[in-house]
Amino acid sequence: MAGIQLVGVNKRYGGTEIIPEFNLEIESGEFLVFLGPSGCGKSTLLRMIAGLEPVSAGQIRIGGQDVTASAPGERDLAMVFQHYALYPHMTVRENMAFGLRNVNVPAAEIDRRITEAARMLELEGMLARKPIQLSGGQRQRVAIGRAVVKEPGAFLFDEPLSNLDAALRNRTRVELARLHQRLKTTMVFVTHDQVEAMTLASRIVVMNRGRIEQMGTPIEIYRKPATRFVAGFIGSPAMNFIDAIPVAAEADCIKVRLADGTELQTGVPTQAARKDAKLVAGVRAESLTLDDASPVRGRADVIERLGERTLVYVTLSNGHSVVAQAHRESPVASGDLVGLHFEPEHVHLFDEAGLAWHAA
Amino acid sequence: MCICLMKPGLPGMPHKGAAMTTTLSALPAAARASSQPKVKGVQHWSNALFVLPFVLVYIALLVVPVVTGLWLSLNDVDVLSGDRAFIGLANFARLWHDDIFRGAIRNTFLFVLMTTPAFVALGLALALALNRQDRVGTALRTIFFGSSVLSVTIVTLVWRLVFMTDKGLLANVMHSLGLASINPLTSSALALPAIALVTVWWIIGLPMMLFLAALQQIPEEIYEAAAMDNAGRWRTFWSITLPQLRKTVALVAIIEVILQFQLFGQAQLMTNGGPNNSSRPLVQFIYEAGFQQWALGYSAAAAQVLFGLMLIGVALQMWISKRGQTQSGEST
Amino acid sequence: MSARQHAGRRMGDHLILAAVMVLALLWIAPLAWVFALSFKPNAFLAQHTDVVLGAPYTLKNYTDILGTSSVFRWIANSCIVSVTQTLLTLVLCSLAGYGFARTAFPGQKALYVFVLAGLAVPEQAVVIPLHRLFADLDLHNTYSGLILPRLAAPFGVFLMTQYFKAIPKDIEEAALLDSTPRWKIFLRIVLPLSIPAQATLGIFTFLTAWNDYLWPLISASKPDMYTLTLGLAATQSNFAQSEGIGYLMAQAVFAGLPIFVIYLFFQKHIVSAVAGTTVR
Ligand SMILES: Nc1ncnc2c1ncn2[C@@H]1O[C@H](COP(=O)(O)OP(=O)(O)OP(=O)(O)O)[C@@H](O)[C@H]1O
Ligand SMILES: [Mg+2]
Repeated sequence: MAGIQLVGVNKRYGGTEIIPEFNLEIESGEFLVFLGPSGCGKSTLLRMIAGLEPVSAGQIRIGGQDVTASAPGERDLAMVFQHYALYPHMTVRENMAFGLRNVNVPAAEIDRRITEAARMLELEGMLARKPIQLSGGQRQRVAIGRAVVKEPGAFLFDEPLSNLDAALRNRTRVELARLHQRLKTTMVFVTHDQVEAMTLASRIVVMNRGRIEQMGTPIEIYRKPATRFVAGFIGSPAMNFIDAIPVAAEADCIKVRLADGTELQTGVPTQAARKDAKLVAGVRAESLTLDDASPVRGRADVIERLGERTLVYVTLSNGHSVVAQAHRESPVASGDLVGLHFEPEHVHLFDEAGLAWHAA
Repeated sequence: MCICLMKPGLPGMPHKGAAMTTTLSALPAAARASSQPKVKGVQHWSNALFVLPFVLVYIALLVVPVVTGLWLSLNDVDVLSGDRAFIGLANFARLWHDDIFRGAIRNTFLFVLMTTPAFVALGLALALALNRQDRVGTALRTIFFGSSVLSVTIVTLVWRLVFMTDKGLLANVMHSLGLASINPLTSSALALPAIALVTVWWIIGLPMMLFLAALQQIPEEIYEAAAMDNAGRWRTFWSITLPQLRKTVALVAIIEVILQFQLFGQAQLMTNGGPNNSSRPLVQFIYEAGFQQWALGYSAAAAQVLFGLMLIGVALQMWISKRGQTQSGEST
Repeated sequence: MSARQHAGRRMGDHLILAAVMVLALLWIAPLAWVFALSFKPNAFLAQHTDVVLGAPYTLKNYTDILGTSSVFRWIANSCIVSVTQTLLTLVLCSLAGYGFARTAFPGQKALYVFVLAGLAVPEQAVVIPLHRLFADLDLHNTYSGLILPRLAAPFGVFLMTQYFKAIPKDIEEAALLDSTPRWKIFLRIVLPLSIPAQATLGIFTFLTAWNDYLWPLISASKPDMYTLTLGLAATQSNFAQSEGIGYLMAQAVFAGLPIFVIYLFFQKHIVSAVAGTTVR
């Protein structure tokens, strides 16, 4: 089990800088998820940790040792690839044994580890098969098994679930969580799927254009997104953003005038926020509910009934569209005029630099 | 790609990643391929060891001979005494005035003009007719392609027997039709066309297979859409199939030009260039000048002419390939 | 499409197929004729060549070949030359293809272009210098003399490089993480994965070597060193005063049969190798 440190890591391809300067301390035993939009450099980062991609500058340490110049095989890591990368001409057993034989693990030990991994991943009947004879989910389990038998200091995953269908993805996700609980080994997981990140991570690193946007537990990131980018990226449906300007402060909390002219009392402490002329108010659908008494009014145009709740897409009087949440059996119908209630303690304000201010 | 070094028998490309369970990354392949795991300069030079054996053979047996050949073409070489004298372009000047050489050039061009259209038209026609997945299709393809695997000496032996004066298969057929028999190989007018016929018979399989492969790339839906639009057989061929095959037609044509420029064995074995030099091709001229008259410099000069002509062909081929690629790139 | 049109189209399909079948019959007629007559006595053939079916039959033409000619020696030579050339080509081209496709070293790109330029060189442009070179090295009329020149053809390198490039990189990366040394990645991972390409290149090289004519004609002047292809040329050079038509026909059949059997056996591979050539 090993912690991983990235110190001033920089990556450029020719003239283009993909990762300007990256500093991160991954703790031993944690499940760390890199989350970010496509092309933000997640895979590059992971591959640099693995040694598959050289760093342009900076240092990578694993278990306290500088491995920046070490070959991939010397880093005591195992990686699970997006497309599995199983050796197609080897059986499942050979796939798992290959890496162990290369470092001269005794045959009996290899057998023991394979048997155990196969039991854990329910691959027992399949050890003699070739990858081509397995389903997608089984292949993915073999890829995980191949990593597990190495008993590495840390696991690296590059979007390992993105090739699976929805049901299988959920199941494998749970298996991975279970695996981490059992092994307690450091895991670094790359994804652009926020649900995977929220459910698996003990800590999430949200990335944008090669930089860290925010780092924290899933709940921290969900409750208190540090920037507008994070707020918009995490959560489904995406957070509503409404232009707002601050009006004379009453009491301790900021009051803003929304774009449609109505005023809104937030829970954001007055002294916390910079006095920017323009702000953006952000509120998630779950904190925006239907309330006929509210002065903020609009017309419901699309109703999505998800079973456990109902999403209502509302066009405000200024043409702005927001999504609110209603009770699962709410009688609201398309075309209805509705009022919207903002829960003040869940309204976020973003200044012009995109930084967030939250209710106390 | 070029197959000019090859006898008809032929090259192939792998089915990309056929054995793989995975697909290629969505990243640009070139970008990926260049980002090799290089760990701080280790292994740099040692990787060249992989290519070293081939490169040595290549330099010794191809590059050096090409250069030597160029140099020889500027010299007068006497094989017996081993004397050699630099004579500049005199060999080329002599070629220019050599009637036999000019005849050989003329024959070669005529031969290419006779065979290439036949390869394209017949190859395409056969491919269209045999583009079917049943046993009949397989059997017929086996027949039309089968002769390609025979060596030139077998093919010429068979056809010399067929063309035999009075007793050949051709003579028999003509007799039974009440015609006077002829042996085309003994007629200056018919010798070259006869060699062309034999050549088409021999290796029609290559263009046929190239067209078949291209036909199978055309998505079935297009034909279904055409059927919905009430397009008949000809209409479908002219407005659907042929436009999709444009690039393949061009490539098959150019490949055949390159291949047929190298005509040698058929002519040498069936007519030995005769009668009256009416069927002597360029390569046979090179062979005879070099290895029967031992005029090495002169022969090398003729070889440079062939080389030059083929370079034009290869350049054309690459140009068409490139154009085809960008076209298909745009459409996807 | 109306039912009438549909029926018309079906008719057309049948007509086309019938026409192609007739053409196919014409196509095999020369071979069938030679094959059938090769079983007739020479004396009979001196009189008639128009009686294809029916007596008399004889195997004498074939026993004559087996008894008198050097045909076995030539077959052996062809086998030695073709097999050796195929194996050496596979080794050289696999190594070079891997080096070009999957490793990095200074000057790699330029070297690859330099090698591919060789695709444009026709064999005939180098036979004279090669002949002199091999004469100086005293390699004419040896197996090495027959085998070596074609090893320099860059086509195989091109083919293997293309193929290796298409193998997903993450498999190799997985092997790197499994502490696999370079040579072992090549031998244990990449090479087994390239078997389809090896088969294509192997079959192609074998056929080319087996059917090669110009270079053996130039290099092998002693009948003992003839390949089968070359030997057959030698026997037909004195076509007129040969031992008889039947004997010649039997020779054609005898020489063609091995390669034809190989063709029928590997047909799928040969055809798919050729079909894959669709020059992209
Ligand atoms: N070999 C390369 N040469 C040049 N640019 C590259 C190379 N590899 C990756 N990049 C660029 O680096 C950036 C980051 O790529 P990376 O693969 O790390 O993205 P990612 O966050 O993993 O995205 P995804 O979620 O789509 O996998 C991208 O903009 C990509 O175009
Ligand atoms: Mg990625």
